[in-house]
Amino acid sequence: MFEKRDEQLVAKARNGDKKAWFTLIQRYEQPIYQYGIRMTGNTHDAADLMQDIFVSVFKSLSNYRGEGAFRGWLFKIAHYRCMEFYRRKRPQQSLDECPEQISEEDTPEIGMLSDESSKQVLKAMQKLSVAQKAVVELKFFHHFTFDEIAQQLGLSSNTVKSRLYSALNKLKLDLEVENA
Amino acid sequence: MHNPEYESLITKWLDGELSVEERQRFEQLCLEDDEFAAQVETANQFTLAAEQFEQAPVPAWNKEATYFDLQSNAPWWQFQWLPVASMAMSAAAMVMVLSGFHVQVNDGQMTLGFNRGISEKDINQMVASRLDEYKESNQLLLTQYMDAMAKQQQENGAQLTQYLLSSSRQERREDFAELVKFINQQRSDDQHFYARQINNLEQEIDAIGSTYSGLGRPLETTHE
Repeated sequence: MFEKRDEQLVAKARNGDKKAWFTLIQRYEQPIYQYGIRMTGNTHDAADLMQDIFVSVFKSLSNYRGEGAFRGWLFKIAHYRCMEFYRRKRPQQSLDECPEQISEEDTPEIGMLSDESSKQVLKAMQKLSVAQKAVVELKFFHHFTFDEIAQQLGLSSNTVKSRLYSALNKLKLDLEVENA
Repeated sequence: MHNPEYESLITKWLDGELSVEERQRFEQLCLEDDEFAAQVETANQFTLAAEQFEQAPVPAWNKEATYFDLQSNAPWWQFQWLPVASMAMSAAAMVMVLSGFHVQVNDGQMTLGFNRGISEKDINQMVASRLDEYKESNQLLLTQYMDAMAKQQQENGAQLTQYLLSSSRQERREDFAELVKFINQQRSDDQHFYARQINNLEQEIDAIGSTYSGLGRPLETTHE
């Protein structure tokens, strides 16, 4: 049986079709939850963020014009909710600022992962600034082009490329340390 | 160290947009430049790690909380009637423009119409007609003005004639009075002259009479 396109489900959900809305949630809850884990480094915050994102998406369904892919629009909202989450949680810290030295020991969330490579990736990402993390997340985990990322984050394409390049430098060092 | 060329090549490679020349340059740098090769290796490793990233299971969460009745909770400006009304107003505006709809207000009366307005030919006719009316009214005014001028001139001429006639009559009367006075004066002078002549003559006659009386009998004369 053919799956309905995102745009069809959005149209139905907008007209009050609850089933269509839950189908959309089912389709995207896994990538959004994983996004939340990598962006916050915390499963509880990731779950809260996921609920916050889906509530925001549902409220904004009437604004979705179908001009781009629903997935891109969804991650744009996810990014804005994530930035609000960071501003609420750490109002003093700039989004471009790298976090202070974190503990070398695995957090409970990282300890939950059985795959060593995934643990390394998660640890390495926690050392990036929020702005760099958002670019790495959208590029490597969701495979958006730089132009799409720029549109979602409200930045120029060149800024996005610079952020990814500087993030790669930092990730390179961290992965080398982990591999050593 | 930040290298714009490296950055451009790696980001294009990640987007799969390398041209043939750029791909050659990319491969050359991978072989010759350790720093560049390390960057590419990191990106490769991270891409692979991202693909194999362990997916943590999504916990049970309250999906029902994300759903609510959009129609009742939507603010008034998001209701469906607003775009419909907007569309209807736009269509009405287009019909009004295309059909030449116009509204005219005259002396407190409003007239609505659908005619396409006045053509250039009609405007020319109206202008010509107004010009004719203007000429006629001008001509009438000019004629009346000329008539009034002629009448006034005639009256002025009559008054002047009357004045001249009356003034010459007065002069003649005065001249005649002078003449009569002169003649009377002349007659008076003549009378005095003749009176003196007569007196002289009387005296001469008297003298002649006394002479004759001395000679004989006096001459009987009666003086009445």
